[in-house]
Parts: sequence; C-alpha cells; structure tokens
Amino acid sequence: MAAAGAMAALCRRLTAALRVSGARLGSTAAGFPGLMLNLFHKNLAKVEPFHQLKFLHTTLSRKGLEEFFDDPRNWGEKNVKSGDAWNIKQLRGKSSEDLHKLWYVLLKEKNMLLTLEQESKRQLRPMPSPERLEKVEKSMKNIDLVVREREIALRLLQTGHEKPVPGEWRNDFLGRTYWYTYKEWPIPWYLNKKYKKRKFYYLPHVNHFIRLRLEKSLRRRVRRQNLEKTRQKVLERKFPHLAVKSQSQ
Amino acid sequence: MATGARKAVYPLFQLGGPQLRIFRPNFYMLVVRPGVPQPEDTVQFRVSMEMTKVDIKNYLEKIYNVPVAAVRTRIQYGANNKRNHKNQRVKKPDYKVAYVQLGQGQTFQFPNLFPEKEQDTETRSFDDFKNTYMEREKQRQKGDPRRGGVPDWFGL
Repeated sequence: MAAAGAMAALCRRLTAALRVSGARLGSTAAGFPGLMLNLFHKNLAKVEPFHQLKFLHTTLSRKGLEEFFDDPRNWGEKNVKSGDAWNIKQLRGKSSEDLHKLWYVLLKEKNMLLTLEQESKRQLRPMPSPERLEKVEKSMKNIDLVVREREIALRLLQTGHEKPVPGEWRNDFLGRTYWYTYKEWPIPWYLNKKYKKRKFYYLPHVNHFIRLRLEKSLRRRVRRQNLEKTRQKVLERKFPHLAVKSQSQ
Repeated sequence: MATGARKAVYPLFQLGGPQLRIFRPNFYMLVVRPGVPQPEDTVQFRVSMEMTKVDIKNYLEKIYNVPVAAVRTRIQYGANNKRNHKNQRVKKPDYKVAYVQLGQGQTFQFPNLFPEKEQDTETRSFDDFKNTYMEREKQRQKGDPRRGGVPDWFGL
C-alpha cells in the first residue's frame, strides 16, 4: 500500500514536470499516465487514474486503449509472473464496493489476456503464461458467487424468498418433473400462442416410460455403489495397515 | 452449475419503463489486428455476441475512457467444414466484429506485441551447451579421420 502510494506520488511529480517542460510523452519509459497499477495481485491498492493532459495531443495517444495491452516491458517475454486467483474466503471479507471495483479490474485484465491470445494465434507464437486467463475466470466466478450469496441473504431477510425469480415444479410431456421459472411477457398467458403450444402435463401412456426411467436410474445407482464397494475392497487388500478399524466392543 | 455459461435474463422493457443498467457486465472485448488495412482512426474489436453498438460505445467510454465517434458491427460466421477423426463436423465458433471509430481525432496503430528481445545469460548459456553437445555428437558420427572421409561400410 505504501509502495503504491509512493509510486503514485512519483508518477504525479513526473507528469507535472513533463507538463511544465511541454515534452512529448513518446517514450514508453514514462509509461501510460492513464493506466492503473496492475491490481491483479492480492493487495488492492486504490490508485486513482491521472487526469488527461488536455492541451497535449499526440497522434498515437490511445487514452485507454493501451489498457488492452500488457505493460510494454512484458511484450516479447516468454513467461509473465502473476499471482494466484482470488479465493472465495478472501473475497467474502471484502466490501461490496471493493468487489465491484475488483470485478472491473479483472474484466480489463481478461480483455487484455484475450487480446494477447488472439494476437499470439495470429503471429503463430506461444502465448506467454496462458494460466493467467484461468485464474481471472476463476476469480470472476468467485466474485459472482459471493455477490449472489449476499443477494440471497438480503432477499431472504427482506422478502423471505430465496430465488430472484419465482417459479414452480412442473411436469413436461415426457413425465419429467422440473423447476419452471416464470418468464416476463407483455401479454397474458391465454393470448400467448407459443406458450399455449407447450404441454405441462403428460398422458397416461407415458407412465410405462416413467417406470423404465426409474428402473434405469436405480440400476445406475446400485452399479455406482457396487463399484465404490469393490474399489474400497481392493484398496483394503493392497494397504491392510491403512484400513479403518471398525469399532468393536 | 455453469453460472456464466447460461444466457443472462434481463427484465422486460415496456414503454415508459426504467433504463436497464447492468452492474457487473460479463462481456468481453478484445482488440484484433485488422486483416484488411483500416483507416487510422478505426480500431477492430471482437466482442461478445450479445453486445449492441450502443453497448460497445458505452463500454468503451465508461470502462476504458475512450472517446467513440461511431461503431459498426457484423457477425462473422465460423465455418463448419472441418472434420475430426470420427468424421464429425467441427464448428469454428461465431464471433461479432466491431469497427470503432475513435473521436477527438485520435488514431490507433496495432502494436507489435512480440518484439525481438536479446537473450538473457540463461538462454545464451543453454544455447552454447546445446551447440557444443551437437558438435560432439557429429564428431562421434564421423569415422576414422585417417580413412579420409570414406565410410566404414567399405572393407579395409
């Protein structure tokens, strides 16, 4: 946090000096003034993006399109180091505002990695460290789960309902029972031709097939349980010293 | 449960209803190098299929702070001709391409993301090691130098 603050102060002084001298921001060493620090790693440093230099206009200024690409120092590298993905337990401790900001940081990172992936396919080169994509996807999924959990808790307290959209158990024409969520329509159901064609009931001749399906599922379950038992027996035979001692009086 | 894979359901819009606001958009956008040379202010993107021109404009302006003048989109159909080892057709995924013209007279040139970098000492030493090993192997393959390059297959 302190290092990020010091870096921010240094960058601010640098841009101020450049503004005074009126020099061109052509060199890549100056970096991208509008780019936030790489917040992919665990420490969430809150760095505000710097204000654009309005009177300075360069033809190559991408003003944010640079965020679709990695740090120029990493271009051409074989491996780029990156931290671990965000864990659900870590995310549960963050405030909603933090999660919101983190979501956008991860989204921009994902865009950058996808750009890199496509470009590497185009140039027929290996993408440096493709595991970053999986980490970002996992982190985003975790954030989604945490936000969903919080929404469900709030909804339960306020309304008593768990699901955001109401629904009910219905049968389809094959006799299967499934959870049907209500959909929003601008017209009532009795004027909806497409909806009226759907059948939420089954005729008596389907009972035979329901019975067959039930038998099949029971047979699968028994097969799975027998497989588990035989695997357990094989392991006990191979490693008798690791067998769980049954409680004997 | 594939939370991201299934289609998101948005509330129905009717005249006079509230503007739809998405708080954590899961849309991706990636910059691609144009196959056909584009004008300098045009950037070519591949975007999620559900995004509209208005969506793309707002996305770039709000998230990336890029001024956008115009957006044109098209959907590229991915071919279904290739076949796998089971003779089943393998489909290349469809994707939406967006051509965005930047505002305020900005230009964009797709950068070279794989510049030639000088090798560091590790790779250089490994290359030297490899070269010496190959030379030694070649020397072993050669026959007796006193025979003047004649292979050992011949008698005497």
